[in-house]
Amino acid sequence: MKMSRSARIALTLYGVLAIFFLYLPIISVGFASVSKARYLTFPIKRYATKWYGKAIESSTVQDLLWTSLSVALLVTVISMVVGFFGALAFARYQWRFRGVFQKLILLPIFFPQAVLGLALLLWFNALGIIPSWKTAVVAHLVWISPIATLIIAIRAYGFDPSLEEAARDMGASTWTVMKEITGPLLWPGVVSAGLFAFLLSWGNFPLSLFTTGADSTLPEWLYAKMVSGYSPLVPSVGILSIVTSIVLLLFGVIVMWLIRARSETLSAR
Amino acid sequence: MERQDQRIGLLSALPMGVVLLISFLAPMLVIAVFSVMPQKVFSLLHIPDFSSYKLVFTQGYIKSVLWSFGMAMASTVVLFVICWPLAFGMAKVFKGFGIFITIAVVVTLFVSENIRLFGWVLTLMKGGLIEGHLRAWTGLTFEGVLYNTPVIVFGLVYAYFPFMLFPLIQGIAMVPDDARQAAADLGATRRQIFFEVDLPLSAPGIVIGSLLSFVLAAGAMAESKLLGGQTVIVIADEIETAFTYGQNWPLGSALSIILILVIGALSIFGINRVNLDLIMGGRRT
Amino acid sequence: MSREPILRLEGVSKYFGEFTALDSINLEIDEGEFLTIVGPSGSGKTTLIRILVGIEELSNGKIWLWNDRIEAIPANRRPTCMVFQSLALFPHKSVGENIEFPLKLRKQRPENRKARAFELLDLLQLPQSFYQKRINECSGGERQRVALARALAFDPEILFFDEPLSALDFRLRKNLEKELKDLHRRTGKTFVYITHSLEEAMVMSDRIAIMRSGRFEQIAVADEIYARPISRFVAEFMGEVNLFSVKGDDSGNPVGTEIDIQTGGATLDSGMGLVRGALATLMVRPEAVNFLVDDGTADFVVEGVLKAEYALGSRTQYKVKADNGDELAVEKLREDRFFGKVGDRVRLGWNAASAHMITGD
Repeated sequence: MKMSRSARIALTLYGVLAIFFLYLPIISVGFASVSKARYLTFPIKRYATKWYGKAIESSTVQDLLWTSLSVALLVTVISMVVGFFGALAFARYQWRFRGVFQKLILLPIFFPQAVLGLALLLWFNALGIIPSWKTAVVAHLVWISPIATLIIAIRAYGFDPSLEEAARDMGASTWTVMKEITGPLLWPGVVSAGLFAFLLSWGNFPLSLFTTGADSTLPEWLYAKMVSGYSPLVPSVGILSIVTSIVLLLFGVIVMWLIRARSETLSAR
Repeated sequence: MERQDQRIGLLSALPMGVVLLISFLAPMLVIAVFSVMPQKVFSLLHIPDFSSYKLVFTQGYIKSVLWSFGMAMASTVVLFVICWPLAFGMAKVFKGFGIFITIAVVVTLFVSENIRLFGWVLTLMKGGLIEGHLRAWTGLTFEGVLYNTPVIVFGLVYAYFPFMLFPLIQGIAMVPDDARQAAADLGATRRQIFFEVDLPLSAPGIVIGSLLSFVLAAGAMAESKLLGGQTVIVIADEIETAFTYGQNWPLGSALSIILILVIGALSIFGINRVNLDLIMGGRRT
Repeated sequence: MSREPILRLEGVSKYFGEFTALDSINLEIDEGEFLTIVGPSGSGKTTLIRILVGIEELSNGKIWLWNDRIEAIPANRRPTCMVFQSLALFPHKSVGENIEFPLKLRKQRPENRKARAFELLDLLQLPQSFYQKRINECSGGERQRVALARALAFDPEILFFDEPLSALDFRLRKNLEKELKDLHRRTGKTFVYITHSLEEAMVMSDRIAIMRSGRFEQIAVADEIYARPISRFVAEFMGEVNLFSVKGDDSGNPVGTEIDIQTGGATLDSGMGLVRGALATLMVRPEAVNFLVDDGTADFVVEGVLKAEYALGSRTQYKVKADNGDELAVEKLREDRFFGKVGDRVRLGWNAASAHMITGD
């Protein structure tokens, strides 16, 4: 796309500005987390890492981490499986109710999450299930597994259906086609969907709010402390949660990169 | 193959279908039934009445509904205006930088919305990042800009930025470069190109982006609570209150149903208007 | 035909809702022949080949492979194989893994698979170093060869081709057409090929079947299709051709109903004869039409004005507007080209032997 140099520069600056704005509040939290004072005011006079130490030692925070982790891991695994098959139904196969299915999947994404959470609470209540972190997994799945499906579907759209037909034509059974062709080709999509699922579940608050019962996830605790009963631990716990996300993201990116490298060396052998 | 497709298609949709059935459709049904239960009951085994809906329309809850939709509308318009140039740059101009922005924006999605909004409180409050440093360096000061409606809209714009940006990028990427060049070649001005070529051809992206940001903003709660203090009570807030402090599940359900109906109608309308296969990058229609 | 056909179709039909894609097709394919099915897009040729391979199911009819009914057998249990239009090479597997894929499915030992893959690379004139190459490192022509090697590794009873050359540029396509014909001769397998290009079919095939709206219009050897098309449709499919609506006169000679065609008085031989009053189409190829100079004559004569001249490389094409009628195309080799100017009045003529009477529509 041709464009004048000045317009290009202006557009680039605009992009930089947008990113700056997106990260500004996170930077503020970062500063706040290393302020020594119990009641925070800027500019920060003395820096300390003591809140991090307290946060890590706190058994409450450890419980929160553990709950968040359990929920996110379970959501990730289920979303990957559901999303893999869902994406095939969404993008690959021409079946009668595909159009309805595509629209149905999108609906939960469009729905207000707090309302989804409340509706689930009523539903669990009607079923006589006592909410815990396990019910929160179900709640997260409503919103996250459709997103996982969409991510994998993008990959599923990208590959030529005749690849599967060719394999079948050469004698492959349905299962062999999945194992030899569909699976390997969709695998990168499945991994990135898994990564998304984990991170979205890890950071989710509105769905957890009503569905965790007596258990509590990190974002829930942070919200409660922000709205009432402020704790100086809030910024440091927030940053810890962000760092976990980033570490995981990096880990995921490395895994993806390894998968690609491996498939290249495999075929280059 | 087509019978094969039918069977495998249905089978593959099954897990997702089960998830949606037990965790989406069934709860929606429950909430619908709850909304016609008498006041302050906690089971579904009562004689239905419409007392909750009567309450909704007589007790000023409509004001919350209007506030929610009004602010959602405002934030959607603002989002469209600020996202368009960036989306255009990312779809058509930037190369490596575009990928960088994409990653940077996606990463913010993984940070809990609460933490980011809390960060804005720290940034904007009196004695916060901006005012505190301004006073320390220049001696100037201003009252905190928090706790009013514009800042809530600002929060909504901030929170749902990616939900407008990415669909817009997808939409603009669907506009063929040669269509723009041909229009310019035929003598169209920049303005005319925007209205005659860009806008209609990127419509699917615009529809999805606007719909997503509107719908999410309409059901949002954290922005008004954290940034807005108690200036405005939004519908989602009312719903939460009805369920928790109010202990009035039927009222909360009725409020939810109203929100769901509006959002559901809009979503279905919007989703029906776009070709999903096309916008997702599929070749078949 | 005394020999038993390798593949026999009887009343094969396919409906997509209201639409009839295949309308009760009958066909016999002989072992070892190269049959090409030609048709415009939408004629049903792709549907037909997908049914023959087993990817698509038929609505009605029977298919025999030798003596076995196969129409209900899915693709993965039929001993036939297809080269796809997109080639369908697996991008996540190397060239060698692609070629070995059918053998791997049959649980052959790795060393046997590899040996066979190298044989096939040789057969298709690909260097052995290709064994390790990735698919995206291969050029268009190389991919064609890999796809062929993979199909041959399957060792099918019949090898089907779904327009695999259509995405290639002209020169490469022309080369591969000839290579494919040679490969057919060397392997002795039955090839069934579909294409929309009759020219491509002419180069390669033993027999050509022309498809039109779900039916076969004509099935014959290439030469027959070229010289004696059964209908206007087939005649026009071959490219530029002159077609005239004619009617039998009192003596059975064809007389133009639109263009004034003179038949030079003499009664034509019986092949050209028409029943009095019968309507038909007279076909003559552009290269069979001559410019008549002075008082030269021919079995058929048309007068008109030279409208345009196009250099086609080895040949030159002329457009002549006939008096009260359509344009005619005339083609001459470069060395026989006509030295006239655009706007000149010209007389065109051709002989009955190089014309063909089409009685179908």
